[in-house]
Amino acid sequence: MTTPSNYAIQIKDLSKTYKTGFWLKPKVTNALKNFTLDVYEKEAFGLLGLNGAGKTTATKIILGFLAPSSGSVSVLGGKISNREIRNQIGYLSELPYFSREHTGRELLEYFGSLHGFSGKVLSQRVDEVLELVRMSKPSKDRVSGYSKGMLQRIGIGQALIGKPKLLICDEPMSGLDPVGYKEMRDIFIDLKKMGTTLLLNTHIMDEVERVCDRIGILHDGHLKEVASVPDILQSSVNVDYWVDVDAHDASKLSGVPFQKSVAENGGVQISGLVLPETLTLLSQKQVKTKGVRPLSSVMEAYFLKSIGARTSTEPTEVAK
Amino acid sequence: MKKIFHVTTFTLRELIRSKMLYIWFLSAVVFCLLSYLLSILSFGEVHKIFMDLGLVGMEWSGTLVLILSLAVTYNTEFEQKAIYLQLAKPVTRGEYLLGRVFGFFAVISLVVIGMGLLIAGLVIFVGGGQVTNLFIDSSVFILIEMFVLTTIGLAFQMIGTSMVGVVLYFMFTVFLGHCIGQVEWLLNQNLAPAVKTMLRIVHFLLPNLEAFNLKDRIYDPNLILGWVQWREVLLYGFAYSFVVFVIGWINLEKREFM
Repeated sequence: MTTPSNYAIQIKDLSKTYKTGFWLKPKVTNALKNFTLDVYEKEAFGLLGLNGAGKTTATKIILGFLAPSSGSVSVLGGKISNREIRNQIGYLSELPYFSREHTGRELLEYFGSLHGFSGKVLSQRVDEVLELVRMSKPSKDRVSGYSKGMLQRIGIGQALIGKPKLLICDEPMSGLDPVGYKEMRDIFIDLKKMGTTLLLNTHIMDEVERVCDRIGILHDGHLKEVASVPDILQSSVNVDYWVDVDAHDASKLSGVPFQKSVAENGGVQISGLVLPETLTLLSQKQVKTKGVRPLSSVMEAYFLKSIGARTSTEPTEVAK
Repeated sequence: MKKIFHVTTFTLRELIRSKMLYIWFLSAVVFCLLSYLLSILSFGEVHKIFMDLGLVGMEWSGTLVLILSLAVTYNTEFEQKAIYLQLAKPVTRGEYLLGRVFGFFAVISLVVIGMGLLIAGLVIFVGGGQVTNLFIDSSVFILIEMFVLTTIGLAFQMIGTSMVGVVLYFMFTVFLGHCIGQVEWLLNQNLAPAVKTMLRIVHFLLPNLEAFNLKDRIYDPNLILGWVQWREVLLYGFAYSFVVFVIGWINLEKREFM
């Protein structure tokens, strides 16, 4: 049972309004509207949303970079302005940028020293973190020569240097190649096992599916939904499937309740809700099926459904 | 205090490695060539030319390094958002700003002192003269001026919303700060009250950089430089820097990082 004492982040009725433009014609943008969210300790929470949904604004308010227009935020039971609270937080910004004149090791030493580490303890901690983010070898080179993936690893390294209880990451997978992406995901999974609370601000569904315990979907400044990832994966969200058929059998497809006939391409798109029935029908019509594959993940379909985007085809009356 | 020290050393290393000291080298070369040319053309004492030009070179190279450092670090810290990761750490914004001030000042001091040593070498070994106490006093005055300018520049960084804006405002302030005598002259003229009020505000707000200008008077026989003058300059320099620092600090505290 979760009690208020083990909240990592508590956000209440948070709103943020940006005023831009000329004073005679000010443009008001409501980036967040009455946003309320609780993130529990030791859980991995994914904040999902389209670009401009308000995810980064929410993260920046949590970290104290932006002042809320109204509402309140409590982090690890206190205010973010408290130095002791900040000592227990790690933050990775989207595409982290560092002074190009330092080496990866020097940067981690600097960030470690801001956490109060010094001497041998600092050196040992830097070694541990470099090992964890797999940057031990190039750590003596200046970051000006680093790839995006290496910068991202140093970024996660600086976030972890203070042994944070809470790690906040803004689009942590941005610009990573598949190997870097997998390594970063593995780091998150390891951190979760170690009991670190994760708040991942992302729109990469695969990352959320594999790492997060719960998700919140932000759309147009509103928190549309909060749900547990296992529940979503077990739910009957309508995912479309693509069924590959033999091109010679295209003529036999008439009367099959697929929603989008793309017979010319040798396949049909079918709603997941009628998949078994449709496959049986195809089999009865002696249509040779070469393969069946989902056109999106359950998570993606759930997300798109939540924000009201058209996600899949609806089953036809025949199929129903 | 330790955190201020860490920010200072980080800033110092960043600025040195971003080749700011090349400007010192360039200034030194330009100064040596100019001094050599003038010493050929003049019939006066060569060591005096070295000292005169050298003090100008010290001030210019220090200011130039400061302008370039402000531009480079504005880009890194604010436009590329490197400051975000630092401010998310358990360091206060005041500590961060103070560390930056000391880091900048350390680099500029290296430039000014380096130039001063070069000039002293030229005066003694090439000009055959002696380094006077007034030369040393002038150098220290330049260092105090650089401290004031560093706090002004960094305060502009905390307030400014673009690199160009920060650099332009800073250069404008340096220029007007050296024109404070002209502003005082205008105040004594028969001008419209509104203009005079505006000039008084400008006079009040601008740094009086001429207060640190001893270099133009090192051969002035009427110059009086005692403890009183030193105290005035030191008090003015540090009081002005303190006020500007607080303004920059408040702005950094209030600043929203979009």
